[in-house]
Amino acid sequence: MIKAPMNSTSTQLQDPSAPGRYSKRPQYSRFTQQELPACKPILTPRWVISVFMLLTIVFVPIGLASLFASQDVVEIVNRYDDACAPSGTKSDKVRFIQSDASKTCNITLTVPKHMKQPIYVYYQLDNFYQNHRRYVKSRSDKQLRSRKNENIISTCNPEDKANGMTIVPCGLVAWSMFNDTFSFSTGKDVQLPVTKKGISWKSDRDHKFGKDVFPKNFQNGSFIGGARLNESIPLSEQEDLIVWMRTAALPTFRKLFGKIEVDLQAGDTINVVVQNNYNTYSFNGKKKLVLSTASWLGGKNSFIGIAYLAVGGLCFVLAVAFTIIYLVKPRRLGDPSYLSWNANPSGLASLFASQDVPKHMKQPIYVYYQLDNFYQNHRRRLGDPSYLSWNANPSGH
Amino acid sequence: MIQHFVAFQAMKDDILNQIEASRQVIINEKNKDDPFALVVDGKALEIALRNDIKDNFLQLAVTCASVICCRVSPKQKALITRLVKKYTGKMTLAIGDGANDVGMIQEADIGIGISGMEGMQAVMASDFSIPQFRFLERLLIVHGHWCYKRISKMILYFVYKNIVFGLTLFYYEMYSRFSGDVLYDGWYMVMFNLFLTSLPVISLGVLEQDVSSDICLQFPALYQQGQKGIFFSWKRIIGWMGNGILTSLVISILNVYVLSPSAFRKGGQVVDIAHLGLTTYTTIVWTVNCQIALIITHFTWIQHIFIWGSIFSWYIFLLFYGALPPEYSKREYKLLIEAVGPAPMYWIVVLLVVVISLLPYFIYMVIQRSFYPMDDHVIQEMKYGRKVVVDDEMWLREEKSSRKPTQIGFSARVDAKILYLKDQLHRKKMFIIKSIANSPIRRSISTNPLENRD
Repeated sequence: MIKAPMNSTSTQLQDPSAPGRYSKRPQYSRFTQQELPACKPILTPRWVISVFMLLTIVFVPIGLASLFASQDVVEIVNRYDDACAPSGTKSDKVRFIQSDASKTCNITLTVPKHMKQPIYVYYQLDNFYQNHRRYVKSRSDKQLRSRKNENIISTCNPEDKANGMTIVPCGLVAWSMFNDTFSFSTGKDVQLPVTKKGISWKSDRDHKFGKDVFPKNFQNGSFIGGARLNESIPLSEQEDLIVWMRTAALPTFRKLFGKIEVDLQAGDTINVVVQNNYNTYSFNGKKKLVLSTASWLGGKNSFIGIAYLAVGGLCFVLAVAFTIIYLVKPRRLGDPSYLSWNANPSGLASLFASQDVPKHMKQPIYVYYQLDNFYQNHRRRLGDPSYLSWNANPSGH
Repeated sequence: MIQHFVAFQAMKDDILNQIEASRQVIINEKNKDDPFALVVDGKALEIALRNDIKDNFLQLAVTCASVICCRVSPKQKALITRLVKKYTGKMTLAIGDGANDVGMIQEADIGIGISGMEGMQAVMASDFSIPQFRFLERLLIVHGHWCYKRISKMILYFVYKNIVFGLTLFYYEMYSRFSGDVLYDGWYMVMFNLFLTSLPVISLGVLEQDVSSDICLQFPALYQQGQKGIFFSWKRIIGWMGNGILTSLVISILNVYVLSPSAFRKGGQVVDIAHLGLTTYTTIVWTVNCQIALIITHFTWIQHIFIWGSIFSWYIFLLFYGALPPEYSKREYKLLIEAVGPAPMYWIVVLLVVVISLLPYFIYMVIQRSFYPMDDHVIQEMKYGRKVVVDDEMWLREEKSSRKPTQIGFSARVDAKILYLKDQLHRKKMFIIKSIANSPIRRSISTNPLENRD
């Protein structure tokens, strides 16, 4: 890459700096004359192949590292909403979940590989649009932050007041809080403790949910949407609520329920006692229980590793393909036969058409003229005397 | 009254005959490349521009190499320009320096005024003004050429970047049941076209040069790229829109599939809407700015500062916005510092998405540059790619062939050449005479005339 040269004005007929002559020529500056030093990169074959090789060299290791990280993660996913409700039609299930019957359900999980602590316990909901606009707006962040804002509830409609009194925390988001619970024990009936502290973002606990705000008048209306809250614990310590209030981006999402800080061995059986309280049956939602470890990259997601490897592989193939093409069919840099006025000469310009010698030509080199569409073999043309030289170009007589 | 009418009719017929005769002369001319000039004066023009004859007149005028109209009024100047514009449908340029040229200048597509002896009237009515007539060449061939490329690149890129940004919002609607929830924070969207992606476009539109100005002047054939409209055709527009649609799809799909539903960080946290929005938006900012870096061929320090500075300012904005108390920053409170910044997944996703989005355009660029290079690519390579001296034989030959032999000023050049040759001949004659006069033989003959007589 070479710096662009300084150019001189091509038309210099008069000398405006002659003495005694008032010149209106503006001050010269590199910026206004557009002569700033510049870099003009040219895409040569060398650059093309280097770029593709560089991408390969960067992407393949990252892809491999991501893929290994994802393979290291052990994940157990178990769908329990269909197993934990009586079989039958949808209305049967809805009736069950809204009744007072016992919702306890037992499921067994097997650990496929050794899982190092901390093991994260999530609940996953499918077909639950926490990102619906009216749902997302139905909350009052001011009320959550501090007690003096208790009555700022205008955005919480329809869950703002129950029986004439304000609800704290108000809004549909809090009202629909997830209320299934899980407790874990190993096959030998040893209870696995689940830590419920530290599952939410620290900035939420410290700044968005106030230490002086206590739940009040919650789930007192005619419809119960989800969990009840302990009225003596301030909101900044109600981590389940804080986790739920962070609205998910997509209709299929997971939320952290707790952490198990014990290792689990391969082949272990885990017994889970589920309180199947939450009604996802009326909208055909699904509920799943997920146990997962985490690597430096996150959870089990081989998509990124595969994507990186695919791109790295593609770039490698392109590098090889372009190398072969450049060797087989090279185009010399700056080859003037590619200029449009040489490639398609018109009229007089054809007199100046350039032809560069493609390969070494040994002498003698024969020069021919070739005519197309000229029927010299036409019957009437043969022996036509008008082509005799003394007839074709008569001299002055 | 009738006399007047009859006389007028006679003049009209006479002019029509003249037009027809001239046309015949042109048609009969054997060598089709010979230039013809048409000279019309004001009175004849008045008749020739009437509605019934003007088509014949324009047909004749358009086939001539140059048309000289003398003693025309300003209204006629404007009328001719308008008629030529309508008849040929081509882009017309009018240049003049006096107040009588104002009508013509405003009528033409491009009006150029020369400031100087006749006052500033023409300048005030014109689109461009130059101080002397000789600068017209530079205006057209250098600045006209640059301007065409700058504007076409800028418009196509602008459409592309807004398609990329806007469509990702629509794709998200599919995930939120078309309820209207917005993926990005309101301030992100304000910042997009205002600060984060506007400065590089400005630097592209103001400073871009494909070849430097002296090369533009040496290769006037490059100006044809503008005349043929190569850089702003429907093919290009659709190509860029397609590129935008494809890029937006790639960005949206990759971000959704990589970031959810499993955890994206070592601490087991999962993404929510703020994280997804932030990551998607970051990838858009990076992609769009790197795309303009691929388009620009002339990098000065200004372009570098604007492009990389825009990307950097996005992170500065995030830090600043996240530091505002939660009353103002709501979901974005401490987003970069606490949640997304420390997650390697965030940076890896950005790199992946940017490369995948730009790969199709890069491959297209490589193929075009290698096998179907355009004129300015070849000339750029000739000048900057090779280490050969600029004024070598091939360069000069290409220079010459890029100029079409013109028919304008033909006779003037022929006369000038004749004058030059006559002058050379005269000098040679004088030299020979002088050398004979000074030769020793001559001098000896002239001093001793008596001896020679014998």
